Amino acid sequence: MSGSVGKSVPRLDAEPKVRGEAVYGVDFELTGTLYAALVLSPVPSGRIIGIDTSAAAAQAGVRAVVTAEDAPDLRSGLALDDEPLFASDTVHYEGEPIAAVVADSLKAARRAVSDVIVNIEESPPVASLEAALTEGAPLVHENWETFAPVPGLPEWPRQGNVVGEMTADPGGVDEAFAGADHIVEDVFVADRQYQAYLEPKSATAIYEEDRYTIHVSHQYPWNVRSRTARALGVNPSRIRVIGHHMGGGFGARLDVGLEPYAALLARLVRAPVKLVFDRSEDLLTCNSRENAIIRIRSGVMNDGRIVAREFLCDMDCGAYATDTVFLISIPIFLAGSVYEVPSTRVVARAVYTNTTPTGAFRGVSGTYLNFALERHTDNLANTIAMDRREFRIRNLMDDGHRMLNGQILTDAGIMRTAFAEVEAVAPWADMGKGPNRGVGMAATLWLTNPAPGQVTLKLDVDGTLGVITGASEIGTGAVAMGVRQIAADELGIDPRDVIVTMPDTDVQGHDGGAQGSRTTHIVGRAVREAGTGLREQVVRAGARLLGELPDDVEIGDGHVSVKGEWNRRVTLAEVATQALYDVGPLVASGSYATPTPKYDPDTAVGLLFPTFPTPTYHVHIAEVEVDPDTGLVTVLRYVVVQEVGKAITPEGVIGQIQGGVAQGIGYALYEGLQIGEDGRYRQRTLEAYRVPIALDVPRVEAVLLEHPDEEGPHGAKGAAEPPIVPVAAAIGNAIADATGGAINRIPITPEDVLDALAENRED
Amino acid sequence: MSAEFSMTVNGRTVTVDVAADETLLHVLRDELLLTGAKEGCDEGECGACTVLVDGKPVDSCIYPAPAAAGRTVSTIEGLVGSDGSLTPIQRAFVDGFAVQCGFCTPGFVMTLTALIEENSKPTERDIREALSGNLCRCTGYSTIIDAVLTATEERS
Repeated sequence: MSGSVGKSVPRLDAEPKVRGEAVYGVDFELTGTLYAALVLSPVPSGRIIGIDTSAAAAQAGVRAVVTAEDAPDLRSGLALDDEPLFASDTVHYEGEPIAAVVADSLKAARRAVSDVIVNIEESPPVASLEAALTEGAPLVHENWETFAPVPGLPEWPRQGNVVGEMTADPGGVDEAFAGADHIVEDVFVADRQYQAYLEPKSATAIYEEDRYTIHVSHQYPWNVRSRTARALGVNPSRIRVIGHHMGGGFGARLDVGLEPYAALLARLVRAPVKLVFDRSEDLLTCNSRENAIIRIRSGVMNDGRIVAREFLCDMDCGAYATDTVFLISIPIFLAGSVYEVPSTRVVARAVYTNTTPTGAFRGVSGTYLNFALERHTDNLANTIAMDRREFRIRNLMDDGHRMLNGQILTDAGIMRTAFAEVEAVAPWADMGKGPNRGVGMAATLWLTNPAPGQVTLKLDVDGTLGVITGASEIGTGAVAMGVRQIAADELGIDPRDVIVTMPDTDVQGHDGGAQGSRTTHIVGRAVREAGTGLREQVVRAGARLLGELPDDVEIGDGHVSVKGEWNRRVTLAEVATQALYDVGPLVASGSYATPTPKYDPDTAVGLLFPTFPTPTYHVHIAEVEVDPDTGLVTVLRYVVVQEVGKAITPEGVIGQIQGGVAQGIGYALYEGLQIGEDGRYRQRTLEAYRVPIALDVPRVEAVLLEHPDEEGPHGAKGAAEPPIVPVAAAIGNAIADATGGAINRIPITPEDVLDALAENRED
Repeated sequence: MSAEFSMTVNGRTVTVDVAADETLLHVLRDELLLTGAKEGCDEGECGACTVLVDGKPVDSCIYPAPAAAGRTVSTIEGLVGSDGSLTPIQRAFVDGFAVQCGFCTPGFVMTLTALIEENSKPTERDIREALSGNLCRCTGYSTIIDAVLTATEERS
């Protein structure tokens, strides 16, 4: 066969999934399993006076009730060691674990949870960014100075409730503002967004031979290993993590969740322990996308040039730092890119509040940063009465664009091609015409996560190819299709003859997880590295079998054949079988991690995530209609032009675009996870928290712009994460166009639409 | 309070003895070890637990198990033919890239199986309305809708 890369091949894991046979983390059971449930803080802030576990412990079927006293006295985290397993003297958010119950059945464990009596002296919560940043605000953590960065990470600016501050100020910004014809200032606010994967979180652990084995459905088993090890105070090699099918994640399964608890409990009760969240527990404790406030000010000239910018962003990390201190680096990659802005100052802060810790969600922070930047871009164009598309083209970056971190984008000019492709499919002049209709555009760049990956390839005696990798299949098909196809092409075999392992940290080399669209790019590249070694071995073994020199044979169509004599050939099965006893099994390994792009570390302070590797380029256009009576928004048409390097599986990439846009539509229009003044979530179920249904999402049109990357396997870059990034901006711009009013909040509710219409009538 | 009753599950009569307030989903998953139906929300919102009772799709997570007494229950495990072959809907899901993480898939397939039983040529609008109780967080629904259109075109 002529190779499977670039073709849409059958997705092999779809069969067990459509039959209901696939075993997800929550379906997995070990013999003799006990079940656990967590006691979660009912209040967002307060001092624990006492915990009475006696009534719970006396319940039928209860094996153990565990509190902070039974856990290692440690704090740990992704960036800052600030989070204990169980709260002991104070609680910092509603939902913070206080105790755990282990029982014979899940029902018994959940019943006993309500019998654990926790006496808390409540204190007023710091419930919002504004409250946390007010002069003299109460400290979420009075002992914040005692928290240390995780080993290997340098200190960064932090003070009180501000757990991280990133500043990039190149100088001369105020002078540039002074020379501007107009200065436009906007404030944007975004609510939280809950990942709402369909499979709630769970973990099953067993403790044997002084080691912990944890069964998960997780995006990043190696992070489960290291984070569980640090939470329990043991070496990482004492933790083994085994992955199962995963019911979505979208970022929420990147940090640890229930795994350290399951591991600790399994040791304490000396039996397998399964811990499962119900949906309301899952929503309450999930590291949702952070809420944020963005203040953006730009100087613009009458001829359309943007000459100065200030970009200030506050992100709510909740009660613990999690990964938000990394995310405050993201604005410097976006605020001065896509459009040339010669002079830009950026200050971004991560802020503690008495709310659930936030964290990674597909398009981390990019969704609201792009919303702010592209809504503001429309406002700049409108200020100087220039067409919004023309204004964008006027300011577009080109090859050699220098980002605010000093990193050079050698191929940024592809963005012009992307704008032209959009125009070809959805001409600007034809979109958004008619009463109550509007059109909006948004463009962004996004990264491909650089984290390392490793692959071992083995040619089996029946001619099938084993791919031993720790990569996790989150649902995108990056493993089920992409990695499998790339591996198949190494030997010219059918992808159906490629067998890929599930993650097991005892078996494979480190894998950086299903995050940031890295799997096809990084693991695919590791496959190619391993393939080079394996092909060499296969050629040598095949030549020996054919009685030829290695230089005179070649691999193709499942055979090794003599060059120029296609009928003198042996099957890969014959080669592998014979080699077994001649030279041993045919096995080769490959590793890859993206080299850090060159950048200038002096451009910013507090830059913990310093570069934006393997960037991709994106332009979206949306056409909407608003109902002037109800304020409801219908997305009539949505077009994505996405630069992908090379599409290994085109249908797979299109599926990521359609799904990412659907999540973006939810974010733009429905999905506000809001915090009341009492510090509690207002939406607490999937009924109250509304994700898009089939009636809400149009047929998304996707154009894949191929532009092969030198480092990627067959030129592939990341593709799955970024389609969500520009959606709220494109829709927000379209609604602003349709209504003639300001759209400055995410989600854009029917009330916001009616307000915007009323504002326009007043003008 | 416990309840002992019989029902037909995927063509076999089964008798179970469970707590009277037990849901059909837990009986299927925990007693009968049919784990194809998933628990996504436990409140009848997400549709991942959809099974057919007397041919009608129900959210088995909020369906009291004893209410299934004497009835016919179909789950995803019962759809495939005796030779293991997929139904046209299942086939179209696989071929049409309508499965990503797949956790919602059994529920979608059951809802759609009931739909085309009632309406062999559903329009796109019919399909979207029938699916209003099934959440998919991965696909954006387009491939699923196309899979149904493909399956019903091939049937006719």
